[in-house]
Amino acid sequence: MRHWTPYLLVAPPVVVLASLVIYPLLYNVSLSLRNYRTGEFVGLHNFARALDDPQFFASLRATAVYVSGTLVIEVLLGLALALLVHRTIRSGWARTLVYLLFLIPMVTPPIAAGVIARLIYTPTYGVLNVLLQRVGLIRTDILWLSEPLTAMFAVISVDVWQWMPFVFLVCFAGLQAVPIDTAEAARVDGADGWRLFRHIEYPYLRSLLLLVMVFRFTDTFRVFDHVQVLTGGGPGATTEFLSLYLYLIAFKFFNLSYAAALSLFVLFVTSVAFSVLSRYLGREVSE
Amino acid sequence: MRRRVSPWQVAAVAVLVVLTVLYLFPFYWMVVTALKPLVEFYRFPPTLLPVHATVEPFLSVLFARGYLVLLRNSLVACLTAVAAGMVVAMLIAYPVTRFPVPLAFRRGLMNWVLSLRFLPPIVVVIPFFDIVRKLGLYDSLLSLVLLYTVFSLPLTTWMLRGFLLEVPMEIEEAALVDGAGRFYAFFKILLPQLAPALLATGVITFALAWSEFMFAFILSATPRSQTFPIGVASLVTQFEIIWNEMAAVGTIAAVVPILLLLFARRYVLVALTFGAVREKA
Repeated sequence: MRHWTPYLLVAPPVVVLASLVIYPLLYNVSLSLRNYRTGEFVGLHNFARALDDPQFFASLRATAVYVSGTLVIEVLLGLALALLVHRTIRSGWARTLVYLLFLIPMVTPPIAAGVIARLIYTPTYGVLNVLLQRVGLIRTDILWLSEPLTAMFAVISVDVWQWMPFVFLVCFAGLQAVPIDTAEAARVDGADGWRLFRHIEYPYLRSLLLLVMVFRFTDTFRVFDHVQVLTGGGPGATTEFLSLYLYLIAFKFFNLSYAAALSLFVLFVTSVAFSVLSRYLGREVSE
Repeated sequence: MRRRVSPWQVAAVAVLVVLTVLYLFPFYWMVVTALKPLVEFYRFPPTLLPVHATVEPFLSVLFARGYLVLLRNSLVACLTAVAAGMVVAMLIAYPVTRFPVPLAFRRGLMNWVLSLRFLPPIVVVIPFFDIVRKLGLYDSLLSLVLLYTVFSLPLTTWMLRGFLLEVPMEIEEAALVDGAGRFYAFFKILLPQLAPALLATGVITFALAWSEFMFAFILSATPRSQTFPIGVASLVTQFEIIWNEMAAVGTIAAVVPILLLLFARRYVLVALTFGAVREKA
């Protein structure tokens, strides 16, 4: 065995990856510094343009609402549910059933989730309106996907439906590491639910929560699929999140250079989130 | 052993029952809608069970609309990407776990692979679109296969690494000492032990590639290279939605990964957290 064997084995995949990932990224940088139509070098013009673009800022605001909304709801609900189930449900088969139930939404293609959401939120024939009218909460149809507020609610609800289970399952798995004796001892000593969480359970969840939040942050920040089929960015541009706006610029207005500049911004934000993850979890994740 | 049922236990069961309905009813509704004739869909109030159940919507999308071709495209693209991804991932995971490489090299490489998981697709697809068009690969399955391979790599590599670390090296080492070559040790001793794990990894990456939407949406234009999710999207967003057909394609799109992942259920959470969470149930 020669000492360079491992490097020889690693070389081909690294070359492939470099040509399929690094080259396009460099290409993106080059695109962003040019005028796409003429190919002329324009320096930072495309980046400066973003500062003058009200639609970009509107999209940024919408994305911020979407990301913070989904993140807060998913983490709070998922964590609360994990604590509740962990502390009360002991039966093994019940836990397995819960695990299986929550796997299903996570592996459902976002496009199929979009189909489901259509069937629920559509006016007149949508289940939600029918249900609300039956119960007597509303008299006339709510146009869920045509009002800014309810459309935002609808796209967020799909994300929460799909990914709250992820937060739940990760937290729930983390809680299994809490020694039962310690928790029992704390309970006997009179620790209430909150203290039990704060001092006994939370230390086991801290790094997992950070991991979950970075995953959810980066994934919601780039959200595209279900929004594209559910609202298409509408009504107006109220759910036109960054990926949808970039898609519009690049492939409808065909300004690849400006889109490239904005995409580098998206890359930058995601990289910051990833570096947080790899710095604080570096040891746990990679060793 | 206390037999008393606490109010929290009642609350937990109640919450779980509500959640079960919230999670299963939407699927039920999609399947039921797919089995209704259009006339019945428009009836008010809607029927909870199809009165005149029919598989006509499924046949109509698959044959009349020609979605069978999209199904084939998805199958070809995903299977090729999974196979290619597995080979490439093994070329990274094997040396990293089986050779005495420096820690910095191992960490750096694995972290770099992990970072691909966080690379936003829109950032890659803009330059990729331009490159692919100039190479004449626009609207071809090949460009999708390449991207699916790359984006399946982080998950495949990290899963293989986890599995490789669990297989003790002693047996391979014994074979090596006995004069067997590394190739022999890899193909005849290590691979058979890894087979179930490889299958699970393949199933999960296949399911994720199957769900992919954005790349196919941007890089394909005709049934020559469109994948199944693209067909679904075009039925959801058209001006006049044919509801039962939309539900039918949604059902097909969802059933494939759900069945596959119930099969590989022990590894799904491990995969999605890159090994931060150990296997379960």
